[in-house]
Amino acid sequence: MSLLELREVDAAYGAVQALRGVSLSVARGEIVALLGANGAGKSTTLRAISGLLRPAGGTILFDGQPIGGLHPERVVRLGIAHVPEGRRVFPGLSVRENILLGASNRRASRAEMAQDASAMFALFPDLVRFADAPGWTLSGGQQQMLALARGLMAKPTLLLLDEPSLGLAPLIVQQVFRIIRQIRETGTTVLLVEQNARVALSIADRGYVLETGRLAVSGAPAELWNNEEVRAAYLGGRVAKAG
Amino acid sequence: MKNPALALLGAAACVVLGLVAPLDDYLIKLLMQAATYAIAVLGLTIVLGYTGQISLAQAAFFGIGAYGVALGSTGLGLSFFAALALGTLLAGLFGVLLGGSTLKLGGHYLAMVTISFQEILTLVLTNWVGLTHGPDGVANIPRPTGLVAAPRYLALCLLVLFATAWAVGALKRRPLGLAMQAVRDNELAASVVGVNTYRVKIIAFALSALLGGLGGGLFAGAFRYISPDQFSFDDSVVLLTMALLGGVEAATGSVIGTALLVLLPEWLRFLRQFYLAVYGLAVILIMVFMPAGIWGFLAGLRPRRVAMPQPGGLVLGRAAGEGALLEVVGLAKHFGGLRAVDGVDLRVLAGEVHALIGPNGSGKTTTLNVLSGLYRPTGGSVRLAGREVAGHAPHLLAAAGLGRTFQNIRLFHSLTAFENVLIGAQAAGGAQAAERAAAALDFVGLADRAGAIAASLPYGHQRMVEIARALAGNPALLLLDEPAAGLNLTEKQALGQLLDRLRGLGVTLLLIEHDMDLVEQVADRITVLNFGKRIADGTPAEVLRHPEVVAAYLGEEAGHEFA
Amino acid sequence: MSIALQLLFTGIGIGAVYALVALGFVLIYRATNVVNFAQGQFAMLGAFGMVITTEGLGLPYWLGILLTLAAMALFGALFNLGVYYPLRHRSFLPVVISTIGASILLTNGVLATYGPEPATLPGLTDLPGLNFGGLFLDSQYLAIIAITLVLVVLQYLFFERTLLGKKLQATSQDKEMASLLGIPVAGMIMLTFVYSAVLGGIAGILVAPILFVSVGLGAQIALKAFAASIIGGFGDIPGAIAGGLAIGVIETFGAFYISVPYKDAYAFVLLFAFLLLRPQGLFGEKVSQKA
Repeated sequence: MSLLELREVDAAYGAVQALRGVSLSVARGEIVALLGANGAGKSTTLRAISGLLRPAGGTILFDGQPIGGLHPERVVRLGIAHVPEGRRVFPGLSVRENILLGASNRRASRAEMAQDASAMFALFPDLVRFADAPGWTLSGGQQQMLALARGLMAKPTLLLLDEPSLGLAPLIVQQVFRIIRQIRETGTTVLLVEQNARVALSIADRGYVLETGRLAVSGAPAELWNNEEVRAAYLGGRVAKAG
Repeated sequence: MKNPALALLGAAACVVLGLVAPLDDYLIKLLMQAATYAIAVLGLTIVLGYTGQISLAQAAFFGIGAYGVALGSTGLGLSFFAALALGTLLAGLFGVLLGGSTLKLGGHYLAMVTISFQEILTLVLTNWVGLTHGPDGVANIPRPTGLVAAPRYLALCLLVLFATAWAVGALKRRPLGLAMQAVRDNELAASVVGVNTYRVKIIAFALSALLGGLGGGLFAGAFRYISPDQFSFDDSVVLLTMALLGGVEAATGSVIGTALLVLLPEWLRFLRQFYLAVYGLAVILIMVFMPAGIWGFLAGLRPRRVAMPQPGGLVLGRAAGEGALLEVVGLAKHFGGLRAVDGVDLRVLAGEVHALIGPNGSGKTTTLNVLSGLYRPTGGSVRLAGREVAGHAPHLLAAAGLGRTFQNIRLFHSLTAFENVLIGAQAAGGAQAAERAAAALDFVGLADRAGAIAASLPYGHQRMVEIARALAGNPALLLLDEPAAGLNLTEKQALGQLLDRLRGLGVTLLLIEHDMDLVEQVADRITVLNFGKRIADGTPAEVLRHPEVVAAYLGEEAGHEFA
Repeated sequence: MSIALQLLFTGIGIGAVYALVALGFVLIYRATNVVNFAQGQFAMLGAFGMVITTEGLGLPYWLGILLTLAAMALFGALFNLGVYYPLRHRSFLPVVISTIGASILLTNGVLATYGPEPATLPGLTDLPGLNFGGLFLDSQYLAIIAITLVLVVLQYLFFERTLLGKKLQATSQDKEMASLLGIPVAGMIMLTFVYSAVLGGIAGILVAPILFVSVGLGAQIALKAFAASIIGGFGDIPGAIAGGLAIGVIETFGAFYISVPYKDAYAFVLLFAFLLLRPQGLFGEKVSQKA
């Protein structure tokens, strides 16, 4: 059985239809990439799963239970952590405090939380020297690490990652994706939204491509990478055909 | 009340009601109070209803007008009307000073500053005994010669009220009134279509103070005795409640609200001591359940008519000329340590469609915000048609021939489609503005939706109205921020055709877009940004195969095989 | 010199009360982006709570304080549910007008129930006060300063040292992100209103013995607290405290050296000076623009 399943999900922002009948599934232990150009509905899909946006139609099942329309505070308690686009680090709180708040979805003793936070600093050694610095002083790459660490503090079964490569230099992107691979090795399932198709497909088990709110194609990474439709979704039809 | 004959008839009715109707003294007093208050409340219609700024000092301006009349006539020996003019102008002057110092800051500042002003005025009226006679107040205020009898004076008050209500109602459809509503609905969008928002807010606040003063001046003559406690913060609150209850966005609403709240305490005598508390409760309930007030609620039930001229063909008056229309060199915008735009060069040739593309977060929208004056650049130069314009205010850039649309559409949501476009056309002036607006709306194919309220239009139409609004400003250069976002396939095709037709008009386009099919279809040249820097520039064919561009979009080099 | 010191002491005492109200005002603004124009009425209610429990019901002073603060906490919750919560998705204007309505309702509700006659309350302590070589430190003012100091320190520790304090801060910085982490955002906002109401209540209890308890008390304090928060830099907590103290001191000096009747105007003169010359306030960042 899939860990996460979307069936014919519709979603809208006011008058704008953002998702039209999106169906996809993620099996336990997978990394699944959700690709597509800007505005295709990738972030909206994640927002519908984590409860930031109430779906207008369709079903979202997590571990067999319907979760569509639940409040985000409830969804994260079920074990779905959403690391949103733009990292959203709390600027006025220190790095350590940002990390500790990641555990707000579960009941943990102080000692337990301190231990889990140390584990995060071990996973992201770059953050150690900024432990007491406020969030806004971090560079983009460090903020992404912090956002990941904060998301992992929830001990999620499923991690939703939105554009972790956004605005990061290529070397940092590689570093982030190495960590995402490590995260999966610890048993966490990952649904990854990326505009950077190359890097996303390099670590994914499967991928879906969205185009203006609909699922266009799905398949294995190599298949998708060589698929003309996928390239067209990013760079336009004529170039893909000519290339 | 568009019809002058109707207006005259109404005015005559006011006079007759005052002079002939058999009213007892008590009712006359009540009507005088209602009429003079209503004039001040009409001021709130302008500042709060039309312009969306909270003023909590209307009783202070009312008091300034009243003391102007009282002291001008009893102390300085001025005639009633000269004293009335003095009080009214004094109130307006304070309005300009207060507004000028505050209206550049956020909305709550005005609320606090007006409360403070209200308190200071009360202190001055009470304590500056030498000038104001202190807590004893001023008695024996004369009425104008010939209007001493109560019914006649009431006729005067009603006449002034009628004229004021008529003028305030008419203002709503005049260019100034439209600009005020544009500021209320979306200040940012108002500035980029050429409205000098600061100036409009000051004018609104000053007019409001002026009407407060006028009402107060007439009030002094009506009761012939005034004292500081009649112009306290509580009274400002009463005036505010009157405006909100009746419906603050229309002159009629203000008059209804005032009449109700002057008469209600008489009808609700059993509430006597609680009646102000009930006002407070009413304010909360109105906000929660009927934010548009009684009149707003009723007016919302009937459709709006618009007087749109027959649309002619759209002609853009600024011929593109030759060479670079826009020349950007080393443009930078830093937010703290973040270099959102980091030394971008951009050259847009006259008459071309130029696309600005790049991954999310690469600095495209920030670039557009700097170009249209919403952000002040950290460095670099921007030349529009040869003139340096970096750091100029948005409304000046609009006047210089720059139009723009927004990624998340910013319309004046409570105005009609036609009014939205009309605000964009104001530079043309008068009847020409209306003709230009009609032509622009027709150009995007929405002439038949002219009377629809912008917020009620489907998304695709809202995009088109926004483009028409920008076109109505007669731009030489039109900046479009993701015009295809959120459009379905048919709408996208229509947009592509529209952009081709725009090129035919001679307008130069700078376009941010993620839909590469559309970019390929319409763009003559493309500039690609990444990390706030330009990474490529050229024709679509060159740029979209440029390895760095492919890498920026897809990640690393294309054609890499997967294991 | 000793007169100046004496005035400084008095000014800090009264300024501490302004600071407490300003603090509640800023906390609500940070949590909800709402400027709560009824904040001063919280202090008025606190003072009347004391009058009702001690004078009216004849309860002992300490019990009166406990009951009043409990009632204030409940009131803060009701205020949130009745005035803010129904309008939380609406724009700034309706919410602000709604709080103004609440302020009118509270003032006039109390006025209609108790009438305009001001009540007096005994001080917190019967101690005679301290004498330092010509400088007389009144016990009530000392109590105000001491309690304010303790509250500010406790609040600092709460926000900086407890997880709950951190969750409140996270909520005020980014509500959506806070909810994604499982922080109950609605609960945090409720807590903020409850705490701000209690803070206002404490300010009212402290100030009641040195001013008369009347319905005008709320507006009088609120206006100074507004001015204090603007002078301190809107939304800034240390700024609100500094602004409150500055206003207390300036109006005390002004009343002594310039004129008593205009005592309440000095705060506003200072406010106008700041708006014209330094609108970002003492510690504030430059007022930022957003597109």
